[in-house]
Amino acid sequence: MANVSGNAYALTVLSPIKEGLVAGKEIAYADAVRDRLYDWNELDNSPMAKVPQTYLCRYFVLDDVYVQSLPSGSYPDNRYDWSPYITDGKRRGSLPAEDRLQSRYLVFSSNFHAGPNADLDGYLHNMWDAISDDIREVWGYCYGFDRVSSAATFAAYIKKCQLETTLFFVGSNDDPLPEQLKALFLKQEFARFAATNQGLPAAELRKNYNEFITRVAPEDLNGPSWSPGQYKFD
Amino acid sequence: MNKKLELADIQGNVLRAYGRFGYPAARYVCLNVKNEIRGRDFIAAVTERVTTAIDWSTEDGKKLKPNWTANIAFSYQGLRKLGLPRASLVEFSPEFSQGMKARKDILGDQGPSAPENWDPVWERNGKDFESNVHILITLNGLMPAPVTEDANGMQEAREASLEHREQAYEWLLEVVKEHDDGVAVLGGHCGANGEKFDYQDADVLFEDGMPTAKEHFGYHDGISDPVIEGVPYDEGRVEGRGKLLEGGKWAPLATGEFLFGHIDEAHEYPPAPRPILLSRNGTYMVFRKLHENVGTFNAFLSEHGKKYPGGEELLAAKFVGRWKDGTPLVLAPNEEKRKAFQDKLKEASLEEQERMLSDFSYEDDMSGAKCPFSAHMRRINPRGSLEQVAGEVPGSMIRSMKGENEGAFDTPGALANRRRIMRRGLPYGTVSDRTSDKGNHGIVIMMLNANINREFEFVQQQWINYGNDFKAANDKEILLGNHNIDGKSPSKAVIQVDPESDDVPYIVSDIPLLVETRGGDYFFVPSMTALRLIARGVIDPT
Repeated sequence: MANVSGNAYALTVLSPIKEGLVAGKEIAYADAVRDRLYDWNELDNSPMAKVPQTYLCRYFVLDDVYVQSLPSGSYPDNRYDWSPYITDGKRRGSLPAEDRLQSRYLVFSSNFHAGPNADLDGYLHNMWDAISDDIREVWGYCYGFDRVSSAATFAAYIKKCQLETTLFFVGSNDDPLPEQLKALFLKQEFARFAATNQGLPAAELRKNYNEFITRVAPEDLNGPSWSPGQYKFD
Repeated sequence: MNKKLELADIQGNVLRAYGRFGYPAARYVCLNVKNEIRGRDFIAAVTERVTTAIDWSTEDGKKLKPNWTANIAFSYQGLRKLGLPRASLVEFSPEFSQGMKARKDILGDQGPSAPENWDPVWERNGKDFESNVHILITLNGLMPAPVTEDANGMQEAREASLEHREQAYEWLLEVVKEHDDGVAVLGGHCGANGEKFDYQDADVLFEDGMPTAKEHFGYHDGISDPVIEGVPYDEGRVEGRGKLLEGGKWAPLATGEFLFGHIDEAHEYPPAPRPILLSRNGTYMVFRKLHENVGTFNAFLSEHGKKYPGGEELLAAKFVGRWKDGTPLVLAPNEEKRKAFQDKLKEASLEEQERMLSDFSYEDDMSGAKCPFSAHMRRINPRGSLEQVAGEVPGSMIRSMKGENEGAFDTPGALANRRRIMRRGLPYGTVSDRTSDKGNHGIVIMMLNANINREFEFVQQQWINYGNDFKAANDKEILLGNHNIDGKSPSKAVIQVDPESDDVPYIVSDIPLLVETRGGDYFFVPSMTALRLIARGVIDPT
């Protein structure tokens, strides 16, 4: 599958947002969704930090496709240009039409650790279990979401909206998230250890190193580490 | 090299670092334009006396070498105030029209370097129409050849250079006075004891009565400035200053990296405002007043110098990539070789000295064992050493090149040739107490480039304040990096060792903020032709 690379999974979801205005308010559903997403930006951390194994994800509202320019004509289009029998209207009519989206979409893309079996269902179940209230808040105005009432129906809904892509975020390997966070933590702590202990006599260095290893517990993923979504030192 | 630039159309400070040409005393004056028409009259009067880049080594050129030089540059607001048409204004680059203050997050001018801590003349810039820095005039006084070789002779020559600077300033004040309904000098340049001046002076530092090329930390500065196509007096200085070609040869950089209206390294004309007569032979100038925390630097160097196995002097050299006397570490990585290099240097002709100090690359130092990856010189000018990738020996680096190591680049300079900056600058102020940061001393640096964003801002953001391109994670350049600006995230840098040896890399930890920004802005340095057109008010973009 193109959206799987090793143990990593690139999920891209386009959920059509209902047309029309939120009842009693002068705001379109799509704009209300965008507004809710902006609310998330003001939180200390994204609700998605609570979803296990998420490497990187993104939400946005897609209003329409963007047209770069009219496609240039090719044979036989350009033959019309010099044919005196083809009217201007006909020539224009032969150009490809501009594409428009049928509706506005909530786009959700996530790169996550899916394991050797590309377990999308497991990820979506965990997501529902972790942040179902937030999911309802963002997806609530999307077509068909009224059928979602559980982890299983959420997973089924997302898979219906899924688009197969290869949109991977380069900057993460495919190890489980806790492993990666621990590795980053160890790298930083070790750099600090090296800086503060350089030049010490061997015995002292050994003693400090043992203390260091005991403290950072390299094998213990539940021990000291970075927490998911953490983007600054406390 | 058969390209010849129109030297009489280019302002002299663009192609010359005046300090190197016998002008050790500089003065920088900021002006505000009060009235468009009278402001243009002022420009016309100044233009009469602006120093060009004409070749002073020819018979005719010798006669034209002035006792003092004058050059002029404009901020975006200045060009606007002088009545440039909107159609031309909108074609200047966004970063130039925003000005340096607005770019503080990109430049890392935060904490002590933040604009609110700048000298009043720069701090007020942009706050109201009367305080806007519209024009920057730079003056330099010539030091004549000393009549006698002794200290007295040198002292007399030095005084003559200061006298020349005063003459230049008197001339400027006279022209300002004649146009005082059009322009005003902006005061508020800080002195050592809180006093405010109408100008910023910068002076070559003298040691035992002799001029040096040093700045206040004690390093020789400004050695490897870029050499471009078409400058007759730079033809013998290409090695180490141009661009590195495959096989270790050097060629001058494309003129368009630094001058509008000429082809650049991408074989394109750099984006520049229309009409072409406004931009051609002109460039952008980044002006920065940088305070040096001498006391902090000395304490920091001495603290780590005690722990660093190579000792304090070598560590000081590792910070910069050169020993304090200018000897490149790549050519002389230890004290013994430094001495041998200096002995040879003293015997060499001036031209040969220039070549010796700059003719090297990092081909034999890809792992940073001689010149560390976070050293000033390597960060500012990587000399074709990017992009490096991990070699087989742990800790080693090799260059990634097409055909050799599966790299994507077909020339060693691919990642560096478009990030070069011409540096013009001199130290300012004096250090009375080498254990204190207080006072007013540092470097006034002017950097010239055709694209502020691609060249200066990129180097500042990615190579000075970040280390990823050098495989140095987020380690900053040791001297100029904006270390610990928030007071709680001290930075470190690694002094690499030969990966084949048993030596241990040294980590320079808790690097304090050594250099602070005290002011500056982005300027446009027009050609002589453009100056005349601006003065006439006839810039026509149609």
